Order: sequence, then structure tokens, then C-alpha cells
Amino acid sequence: MKVDFIDPFLSAAFTVLEMFTGERPQRGQLAIRNSTFTTQQVTIVAGVNGVIEGVSLYGMSLESAQKIAGAMMGSQVTELDDMATSAICELGNMITGNATTLLSQNGYQVDITPPSVIKGPHVEVCTKIPALVVPVLTPLGNLEINVALEENAMRNAA
Amino acid sequence: MSKRILVVDDAMFMRATVKRILEQAGYEVAGEAENGAMAVERYGELKPDAVLMDITMPVMDGISAAKAILQSDPGAIVLMCTALGQQNLVIEAIKAGVKDYIVKPFQPDRVLEGVGKALGVA
Repeated sequence: MKVDFIDPFLSAAFTVLEMFTGERPQRGQLAIRNSTFTTQQVTIVAGVNGVIEGVSLYGMSLESAQKIAGAMMGSQVTELDDMATSAICELGNMITGNATTLLSQNGYQVDITPPSVIKGPHVEVCTKIPALVVPVLTPLGNLEINVALEENAMRNAA
Repeated sequence: MSKRILVVDDAMFMRATVKRILEQAGYEVAGEAENGAMAVERYGELKPDAVLMDITMPVMDGISAAKAILQSDPGAIVLMCTALGQQNLVIEAIKAGVKDYIVKPFQPDRVLEGVGKALGVA
């Protein structure tokens, strides 16, 4: 996977999280994760398809999810109920959507699928290729961005 | 009489957020829909003054729904409210007759500016 593919996701995450937390997040250390790994307590999954395809996952602790959802909703969240889960899901939609806008500016036209939220740790996730991982540190907790994208050979050959 | 808006988004959180912004500004939310197909159906039933619609939704996406609404009612006022800001999508939406294109995340004022201008009340 090209390292260039993760930068738009980081930029988008910074923009979206800064709007909700009021502070510029910090970037953690880039790492590579095997194509099979287990989720954190809360994980948002969004598919990407087009000239590049794959998946982006945003993992976080339950506490981080509740605090970020609370910031988005403008109220304290003590339980990840349907509304708070919808807010967290929308966070993934905003980050992935903004990232695809940046990818399109680099010549990669892609679309996204409506994101889903996995609640509960230790769910095994399999991706076609190893994921690049970058932790994003915010005052409300950390978000781990996993991006597993590759160029779509069939689309690019067409 | 306040202007009536149909709010379309698959995310409950976004529908609630947009509804709160609109109602605090004096608009009436005529109804809600969680996908494009439901939006087309509800538009026919409710005949709102404007539609504020997401793009990435299951069943039918927002651009397809906007085209269907504008085909049935060429005078419909439709605004897109989406996390996708690709130039090709913006162009496709504007060509279809969409009045404004609001990119998420947004400040409440951006939504009110778009809706107000589209309805000629800003």
C-alpha cells in the first residue's frame, strides 16, 4: 500500500476532530498491521471503492467514543446508545468522506460506502492487504486510524 | 408561516443535528427520511419548501434522489449536505439542479446561509 494513501485520512481526521474537540490533534507513530487483526472496544468501518479500493477503520476505547460522541452532540454521553452510536458512525463518514475529497484532488476518484460501527473488542478483522496505522491523539481520547487500500488494477486497466 | 424542510440523512445523529439547527432558526422540519428512496416518496407526500439531503445513503444515494425529485418537480429546492466534496460530485449535483452543496462537518451558520439563500429568505 502506498504511504500517500493514509495522509488524506490523517488530514481529514485532524480537520473533523478539531472542529468537535476545539483543539488540533497530535499524530502518533506510523505502523504497519497484519492483514488480520482484532478491533478495539469501538470501531468504525468504512469501505472505499473506485480507482483505489479497500477499507478504513477507526478504532477507539469506549471512553473515547463516549467523550467524542458527547462533544459532537453537545451533551454528556455515559452510554453508547443509538444516538451516540449514530454520532460516532457519522464521525467515520465525515473523516472518510473528507479523505476521499483529498484523494480526488490527487487524481484518485473514489466513493465510500455508508460506515458501520462494531461495538465490542476482539472482533477479528481481515483485510486484503496489511493496514497502515496511525494513532491520532485528542484531548478526548485517542483514535486509531487503520487504512488498507490498494490500486484497483481492473478499474485502472479499463 | 415558516418554511417547511425535509431532512434526509441515514444518520439519526445528523437528522437530529440539522433539525435542531433549522428549528432554532424558525424553520419547520416537515419530515425526515433515511435514504434516497424514502426521500422521493416523502417529498411527494409532504411537498416541502426545500430538501436538505445527504449523498452517501443505503437503498438510493442522494444525487439519484435529487434527480428523481427534480424530475417530478422541476421547481423543487434541493440542497446537498454531505461529507463528500469531490469536484465531480459537486458538478453533477449542480447540473442536476441542486441549489447548494454543504460539506460536513459544518458550522450551523453554513446550513442556515444555504437554506436561506435557496429559499430567498436570507
